Amino acid sequence: MTAQSIASVSKPQSSTVAASTGRTQGDAIIQVQDLAKIFDPDIRAVDGISFAVRRGEIFGFLGPNGAGKTTTIKVITTLIKKTSGSAIVDGINVDKDPAAIRKIIGYAAQEVGIDDELTGRENLRLQSALYHLPKGEREERISELLKAIDLEDAADRRAGTYSGGMRKRLDLAMALIPHPKVLFLDEPTTGLDPQNRAAVWEYIRGLNEQGMTIFLTTQYMEEADRLADRLCIIDHGHIMAEGTPASLKGSIGADVVTLAFKANGVANPNAAAKVALARILGIREIQEVDGGIAVYAQDAPALVQQIVLALNDAHLDIAELTLTHPTLDDVFMKYTGRKMRAEEVTPQRRTPWGARRRRPM
Amino acid sequence: MAAGEFFGEVGSIAGRWIKKTLRRPPFLFFSLVQPIVWFVLFTAAFAKIADIPGFASTTGTTSYLTFFSGAVIIQTVLASAMQSGVGFVTDMESGFLDKLKVAPIHRSSILLGKLLSDGARILLQTTVILILAFALGVGIATGLLGLVLLFGIALGFGIAWSGISTFIALTTRNSESTLMISLLTTFPLLFLSTAVMPKALLQDSVRSIAVYNPITYIADGLHGLIITPALDWSVVGFAFLIIAAVGFVTLSATTTMFRRTVSA
Repeated sequence: MTAQSIASVSKPQSSTVAASTGRTQGDAIIQVQDLAKIFDPDIRAVDGISFAVRRGEIFGFLGPNGAGKTTTIKVITTLIKKTSGSAIVDGINVDKDPAAIRKIIGYAAQEVGIDDELTGRENLRLQSALYHLPKGEREERISELLKAIDLEDAADRRAGTYSGGMRKRLDLAMALIPHPKVLFLDEPTTGLDPQNRAAVWEYIRGLNEQGMTIFLTTQYMEEADRLADRLCIIDHGHIMAEGTPASLKGSIGADVVTLAFKANGVANPNAAAKVALARILGIREIQEVDGGIAVYAQDAPALVQQIVLALNDAHLDIAELTLTHPTLDDVFMKYTGRKMRAEEVTPQRRTPWGARRRRPM
Repeated sequence: MAAGEFFGEVGSIAGRWIKKTLRRPPFLFFSLVQPIVWFVLFTAAFAKIADIPGFASTTGTTSYLTFFSGAVIIQTVLASAMQSGVGFVTDMESGFLDKLKVAPIHRSSILLGKLLSDGARILLQTTVILILAFALGVGIATGLLGLVLLFGIALGFGIAWSGISTFIALTTRNSESTLMISLLTTFPLLFLSTAVMPKALLQDSVRSIAVYNPITYIADGLHGLIITPALDWSVVGFAFLIIAAVGFVTLSATTTMFRRTVSA
């Protein structure tokens, strides 16, 4: 896939928009301050978060299902109303002029929003009409996008016959129809096989190289690591850490040895292990995480032998030992105390009778 | 935004629904096969109704088929209107509604486009039924003007009635519930009206209900246009009045619910 000429971002306009709407802070295209969204009865989906996305960067929101990623994106894209705080996109406040925001953004939801009974091309035609593209430019734009996402051959087949990867790509093209200034991608590769995932990554990177600002959410460490210029780790509606992938990994400043123990009579193996390992020189920190402990050390390979011996002396049986150089997985574990597991998105269960529960948007 | 943009949006959204409808096999069934079945089955089974004393004198025709044509139109329009809400549920479930909500369009065009497509579908289905009826020898006694008014009644009634299923769809967000509730509320009304049986032949208890049933007045209007050569404006006018009243209630409820849906 190529991103040539797809992202013709209208840079000249942005300065006039900024001038008239009084953009204040440096080069931030999205500014979110103390944002909270509480769903009935008392679900704090997003619980007071603040962050800024810089013009021209790929900004990532990394977190597990239910962390508040989608809720945040839906507030910024004007799909749902926030409970409190503020969100500003390109100088436009979501409260004051949501219609103006809709004109400058593209959004590809986690659930692919395409019409299965229309062909790929018809879906794009409808989208180009809804975004009021000049009639003379529509067909050209559509063929350009179909080519870019490699759907030319299937363009005139009904979208219902597409594979998961094709649907995701078509949905991405739908979001790109209006030449958005900011592209919002909610879990762009969830459910895709590695090959499709790599293709989407390459395409997203290409769009960004053309100057498009991209805000993406993901539950995949690798995706955040490879794509995002900067990212926030979000969990339970809170931002746990923020920075570039390198700086976040650097914040661990050490290798990580994670250990899990067999239950063999020791009441609290994690606590016992912490005591047993406390006297080993070179260990910087020991943290209890779910399923075991994480040992942080500058040069962990040199310490593995000592660790194993110390645990043996304390009559602890090791069930699992892994040694890694810092990854975003470790970063997530360090800030949340939990391991991150990517879960596949399962469709909402339907209730045969009565009201379906309102989707937590 | 300019008015032209607004009409463009409504047109695009209506066009989408029309395309979808035409591609669906059940649509062909409901609009083509079902009227044929109704015509053939019911008129064969109930042909003798026309021989009952009082039928010809109160209805103005000696043919049950002619009388029944109005009922086929009503039944088809009802079935069509019952389904119209389901489209919104599908769009909510698939995430397409979010796509529409995030687009820079007037949100009212989402609802108007849908209603417009429902109207187009009803006109198409009514045309099919009339062609069938003509083929079977049924004529429109009131001529061209009557034909236009008949289309007007079918269209108005269909859009007003589709407000019910759309309201239920937006409230329950569940397609099965929508179909079930619509079915339960509409079909009994058809048989508790003068659509399939002239008023004079209805059982007393049914007749007393039929008086309060809006479908009775739609049926009277259609029967009048099809059967009585002299156009009775009071009957036709009353049908349109009922349509306006039903439409006002169902469409205001739908609009309120729709606003709530898109602003949430």
